[in-house]
Amino acid sequence: MLSGDQKLVERCLQGDDSAWEIVVNLYGKRIYNLSYRYTNRREEAEDLTQNILIRVYQNLRSYRLDAGSFQNWILRVARNLIIDHYRQVRRFPKTGGSEELETMSIQDEKTPNPQRAAEQAEASRFLQDGLQALSPELKEAIILRDIEGIAYQDIAELLSVPEGTVKSRINRGRLELAKLLTKRRALLGMQM
Amino acid sequence: MDCSKVELWLSEYMEASLPAEAADAVAKHLVSCRNCSALLQEMRSIVSLCHDYPSLEMGPEFVERILLRTSGRPRTRSFRELLHQHIIRPLLTPRLAIGATLATLFLFLMLDLMLPRLSVTFSSISPAGVVRLMDRGARQLYGEGLRAYNKKNEWQEQYNRFKNNTLNNLRSIMEQIDVPVEGHQKTEEPEPPKDDAPKEKSSGLFLWPA
Repeated sequence: MLSGDQKLVERCLQGDDSAWEIVVNLYGKRIYNLSYRYTNRREEAEDLTQNILIRVYQNLRSYRLDAGSFQNWILRVARNLIIDHYRQVRRFPKTGGSEELETMSIQDEKTPNPQRAAEQAEASRFLQDGLQALSPELKEAIILRDIEGIAYQDIAELLSVPEGTVKSRINRGRLELAKLLTKRRALLGMQM
Repeated sequence: MDCSKVELWLSEYMEASLPAEAADAVAKHLVSCRNCSALLQEMRSIVSLCHDYPSLEMGPEFVERILLRTSGRPRTRSFRELLHQHIIRPLLTPRLAIGATLATLFLFLMLDLMLPRLSVTFSSISPAGVVRLMDRGARQLYGEGLRAYNKKNEWQEQYNRFKNNTLNNLRSIMEQIDVPVEGHQKTEEPEPPKDDAPKEKSSGLFLWPA
């Protein structure tokens, strides 16, 4: 018995373009946000998302039903490309700082109040800066678990590591981030 | 239990996935250790902040670009989008909007001028009343038609009169042009017979049949 995702893949493989559109609408946003968490730049995230979805489209035939869920397969493709991109960028860094989160928070439906949106943007920027200071491994674990809300088991499958390792990375990531943000907050408090 | 060991369990303690015995030990330590307690509080706020982290939306143009680069098929548009794309957006172009406004204005003006004036109230509506109204309307329309026909005849008559006057004037001008000027006639050449000389040759104009 085929699941919903598997039927969708089958339809895509049979040349049903509307099925592919559903896939893009279903997973595009998650890939886009994931790319943005890593790159911290909207334009780069858009290019990356486009490349990831092109790669997924070209490699749909290589998806095996017994290899796990379709979502994990897509996320694995996305992660590989994001890591490639990360290595490339690290080798040839671009000038300029990270994008502001202000415009982003305005679009956020959860915060319709402008004051609340500004506070949210400030807090998110604080968190984002903290995340950038973590090692790629810990940062990835935090993004996948706490921001994207992916289950431990799925993260383990995605990263091809044991579930215990995932838990350990997430705990270390949270601890480091907590210590870092406490220190920064104390510094900011002293300055003020 | 020391702080370094508690730190290893903090996430699991926070998510309540720690075995009961270990959870009790961590709870006891947290009561006595302010640092670990503050750390746990900070971790909780981080997780909460992560859950509220704003997410980006994929714009329709972005989705379209991806679909065109992959399947080559444009995005499926909803009825609202189609309505906006084919009806509302073209109407919002200044040229069409001005044209449509002028056309509507013209239509209303024409209707106001052409249609017979009917004073109808809801209480007066009955089969006989409607027939009477229609009859009156038809008569009015017929009368307007007759008036328009008479007007047309009047205009046609005026036009014919104007045309005949103009033609007569032209004819008299042409005749004046045809009169030979004295002293300019050639004496060497014999005068051609009057009957053979074509009338149109002298002026080069031919406005009506001879």
